[in-house]
Amino acid sequence: MKILNPSPKLNRRSFIKKVLNGTIAGSLYLVWPMKGVSLEIPEQIPGIRGKDYDILNREFAFIVDITRCIGCGSCCVADKREYNVPDGNYRTWVERYVKGFSDNVYVDSPNGGLDGYQHPRTDIDEKIRDTFFVPKLCNMCREAPCVQVCPVGATFKTPDGFVLIDEKRCVGCAYCIQACPYSARFLNPVTKVAEKCTWCYHRVRKGLLPACVEVCPTGARKFGSMKDKTSEVYKILKGPGVLTVLKKEMGTWPALYYEGARREVI
Amino acid sequence: MDLSYRIRLLIVLISIGVLAGGGLLFKKLLIPDSFGVYGHYRADAISEAALVPIRHGTNASCFKCHPYEAKIHKKGRHKTISCEFCHGTYADHVADGKKAGTLPVKKEKEITTLCLRCHNTEIKARHEEVIKTVAMPNHLRDQNVKLTHTCNQCHHVHAPLKYIIRAKQITGLTEARL
Repeated sequence: MKILNPSPKLNRRSFIKKVLNGTIAGSLYLVWPMKGVSLEIPEQIPGIRGKDYDILNREFAFIVDITRCIGCGSCCVADKREYNVPDGNYRTWVERYVKGFSDNVYVDSPNGGLDGYQHPRTDIDEKIRDTFFVPKLCNMCREAPCVQVCPVGATFKTPDGFVLIDEKRCVGCAYCIQACPYSARFLNPVTKVAEKCTWCYHRVRKGLLPACVEVCPTGARKFGSMKDKTSEVYKILKGPGVLTVLKKEMGTWPALYYEGARREVI
Repeated sequence: MDLSYRIRLLIVLISIGVLAGGGLLFKKLLIPDSFGVYGHYRADAISEAALVPIRHGTNASCFKCHPYEAKIHKKGRHKTISCEFCHGTYADHVADGKKAGTLPVKKEKEITTLCLRCHNTEIKARHEEVIKTVAMPNHLRDQNVKLTHTCNQCHHVHAPLKYIIRAKQITGLTEARL
């Protein structure tokens, strides 16, 4: 009986070559360092991955739709987990506004909204007209007071519009904490440097949405690129909807906009 | 000019030179390299901020390894809810593509508390078009179930109307109370 050669081109030499190649490729696949988890996750902000990040030609906006916020506190929980924020400090928090018929406004934010709002307020003895939740975070002011007061250049405005903190340069003098009109900053009790919401800069640069936007179940928090004409925030900012910013009279020019904010919101 | 005057002049000039040179050297040593590239700050701090590892993934990252839950979750009313809000962060569960830890599972009363974070009617700031809310324990009474029932005994946590729609299909009741 004649044994047929399975492939006329496959001699011993090429067979050994192929086996060796396969083994080497397979072992390389196992030991090759993975470039972080972000590459496995589909991109959420289009046009960031796969090319050099042109920092001078980027602009982002954050919109909070108050009419859709249900005060579940998902954003606060996600934020605390993303950054391991020490207890008692909040990079983002949710406030509850209760408006009476006498136009009195009652604001509370138990534990920054971390535990959600399980119970209605019982300490108000007038008829309640309106209740709503207002998520708060860094306003990313274009004329940021915190940047102006920092004596060591540790707080700065990046060319793509983020106000960030250089942990290595911050001396913890807390000038910026006093300067911020929105009380968005705090002194981290562990690292002893100023800390605040960064709109998840590390996630944005990886093409992902900020953690709070990602977990928001009702779409009350929206984030996107202003250079992308198909993004939701671009369409909202271009559209006719009424958008407000907090403390406009301070002249801070925030890049954080509120949709459906009552005039009581400060 | 006498010699002592020249020497004194030389000493003054040399000390000015040493001081200025030393000052410049100190300045060079103390100011970080990338300081002032974009403004009065260290430009390298931007790339450092961008390199912070992420702790939250997205729902897509969870669905990759949990196709069964993904199938139910994507179809249900809870499709907009992030897996990580109830279960914990991706980074606590997966590290370098391998399982690193087990995320705790919410049980019994914890589930009810979790549900009522969003679905409590008593908090009057929840609009009908955004979320369906219930008042407890009235909802349990209305549905003729024990007051000790937890939400997940009737509602699938990933797709809250899954069993209810199925029950309607089986019984043929269109006006089943939700």
